[in-house]
Amino acid sequence: MNETAPIVLVVDDEIQIRRFLRTGFELNGFVVHEAGNGTEAIRSATLRPIDLVIVDLGLPDMDGSEVIERIRSWSTVPIIVLSVRSTEAQKVHLLELGADDYVVKPFGMAELLARVRVALRRQMRAASGEPTVKAGPLVIDLAARAVTLNGARLVLTPKEYRLLQVLAQHAGNVVTHQHLLKEVWGSIHVHDTHYLRIFVRKLRQKIEPQPDSPKILVTELGVGYRLAQNEGESGNGHMAATEAPVKTES
Amino acid sequence: MLDALNFDRIREQARHILLTLFMVAIVTVCVYFLIVEAGLGHGSVVYLLPVVIAATRWGIVSAITAAVCGVLASAFFFFPPLYTFRITDPHEVINLTLFIFVAVVVSHLATRLKRQLELSRQREIDLRDLYAFSRRLAVAFDVSDIHAAIEDHLATVMQRKIVLFSSAREAAASGGRRPGVAVPDRIRADVADVASGRRDVANSAVTVTSDNGDVWLIRAVSPKSSEFGVIAINLGRTPQEDSDELRIRVDAVLSDATATLERLGVAHAISEARMRSQTDQLREALIGSVSHELRTPLASILGAATVLSAAPALRGEKKLQALVHDVRDEAERLNNDIQNLLDASRISSDGIKPHAEWADPADIVNSTIERCRHRMSGRRVVLNLPNDLPLIHVDSVLVQQALVQIFDNAVKYSAAGSQISVAARARDGRMIMSVSDEGAGLTAAEQTKIWDRFARGERHATTTSGSGLGLWIATAFVAANGGKINAVSEGPGRGTSITIELPVTQAVVTQMEGDADE
Repeated sequence: MNETAPIVLVVDDEIQIRRFLRTGFELNGFVVHEAGNGTEAIRSATLRPIDLVIVDLGLPDMDGSEVIERIRSWSTVPIIVLSVRSTEAQKVHLLELGADDYVVKPFGMAELLARVRVALRRQMRAASGEPTVKAGPLVIDLAARAVTLNGARLVLTPKEYRLLQVLAQHAGNVVTHQHLLKEVWGSIHVHDTHYLRIFVRKLRQKIEPQPDSPKILVTELGVGYRLAQNEGESGNGHMAATEAPVKTES
Repeated sequence: MLDALNFDRIREQARHILLTLFMVAIVTVCVYFLIVEAGLGHGSVVYLLPVVIAATRWGIVSAITAAVCGVLASAFFFFPPLYTFRITDPHEVINLTLFIFVAVVVSHLATRLKRQLELSRQREIDLRDLYAFSRRLAVAFDVSDIHAAIEDHLATVMQRKIVLFSSAREAAASGGRRPGVAVPDRIRADVADVASGRRDVANSAVTVTSDNGDVWLIRAVSPKSSEFGVIAINLGRTPQEDSDELRIRVDAVLSDATATLERLGVAHAISEARMRSQTDQLREALIGSVSHELRTPLASILGAATVLSAAPALRGEKKLQALVHDVRDEAERLNNDIQNLLDASRISSDGIKPHAEWADPADIVNSTIERCRHRMSGRRVVLNLPNDLPLIHVDSVLVQQALVQIFDNAVKYSAAGSQISVAARARDGRMIMSVSDEGAGLTAAEQTKIWDRFARGERHATTTSGSGLGLWIATAFVAANGGKINAVSEGPGRGTSITIELPVTQAVVTQMEGDADE
């Protein structure tokens, strides 16, 4: 991934959570800093170079969303939120505040690592100016405005490309409905979710090898869409145990 | 204001008297023709007609007027000497005196009849009000509902706008319950005094003049029970003596109203409602803290187990790995159970408030399968999703959670390696999602019982675990989206098929701007 080990700042008031996160991250080659509350977190983020922040929403001294806002005021460092199962509206709110992604407690280490890697890769791509985004067999060249599937060039309408472009810019992370609608159709259509639904269905017919069981343009129910970045997540024992659903002809 | 009222009344009275005179004149003309043209005897009895009409319609004054005018008219026109008021025949004098006597009695009786009619009509209105009030009390859910009912009831009874404060605290807080009726701060302070008992007002109302000169009347609704609150009535700029009169009326109305409130057991209802809301708050707080207290350690346990399972030190240690997986799986199961309890208490305490948006049914099915991947391991999942499914307007997360429960159920009651088919289709304006397994199936009795809260199949009570909440939660979540849920089984051992039916409303897709640029 990187020459030097990535540095992650873990902000959580529960010492047990910090402990397993530290062990989990260190086993995967990360350097871990810890903070037990919001003030400490913000100080820590200003003092040292940090590649990624993991922040719990319930902190003793301030709300996690405040930490996100404060850090966002000067830094573009990726932020991943740990939350209890909350309403979708709250997740959307956090994403709009500037969080890159969220993981719902309780979660497995593999799930969190996958999100962390996606966020780090995105940050790196942004820094290096790398113009192509890969999602399985799909390659999006943001510089040439070209999209290929298994090497074959796809013909997309300007709006289809725009949608894919916005998702590619956040590759691997959730992009909210509101954000997509605003970017593609303009701010007066932010509540017209049905535009997006119909449009995504058409786009999937073009980019998904199996459109009725999408693996590239993935739905996050009640929140938005995600351009999947299927990294070899070997730690996730769940995937291996299940066979992929079988499709029948209707 | 009162002068204007008096003037109105006088004008009304004058109109009635004029109408009465007009009636008498018509009768005179009729009688004149009867006597002159038809040669009948004199017809002073006919003059009773205007008397009765005036008495029943306009009261005693008009009736007496009619009687007197009738006598004068017959004296003038029909008794010799004609065209003078003088009467020579003593028989005729007796006749006329008798007529006056009968007229007065008739008018008196008619007026009384009229008053009784009005009274019974008023009583009917009162009864209807009272009935409406008690019905509102019966459906009132909390204290503020009851107070609103009392407020409206008193307003109807007193025919004035009134403001009811349930407590001293409410009176002190500015802002007011009703945006329509503004209560000045000075009046609020007085209301607070009365409500908290700092001002002893026993059984009568106090009048207070506010800064802008309006007179307010303040009174505890009941001197015995503070539960009913304190009312404030704006009387406007009324002189002292008029407000005294009003105060006496308010006292009378309120002592009646208090009796009504006591008879209806309103005080008891209020305290019961208070207790209910406290219980609810307590339960919410308890559930909130239990949820947090149980799940925080669970998050650590599950997280730590996943770190351990991937740790290099355990690689190759098959038995230890299996233990770690057990820890992880059990923690996940515990987490699901807690979630079910939380959902169940959410359903029964405050109902479900769906946040509907346009959703693709295929998205809901796919993301549910994704979420249940681990739980459905070892089952063959067969998917049948046509690519032209209509969009549905639902809370997709709630529908997903209902589907998760159904998947869980399918997995729980079917053997490893068996098939679970998931399908969605539109039919007759409904979206139908079905999950069919090849598992234990349902007996006829079970088909109706599975939807109950805490229902557990007796055949499986010893072999499978569970709270019996799952399908009950699924039903509630689907119902919240205007849908229903059904189970079909060929019988024990022959699999179960559970279907969710959701309404399909046509999405308003005018010219899709998305296509405009193609």
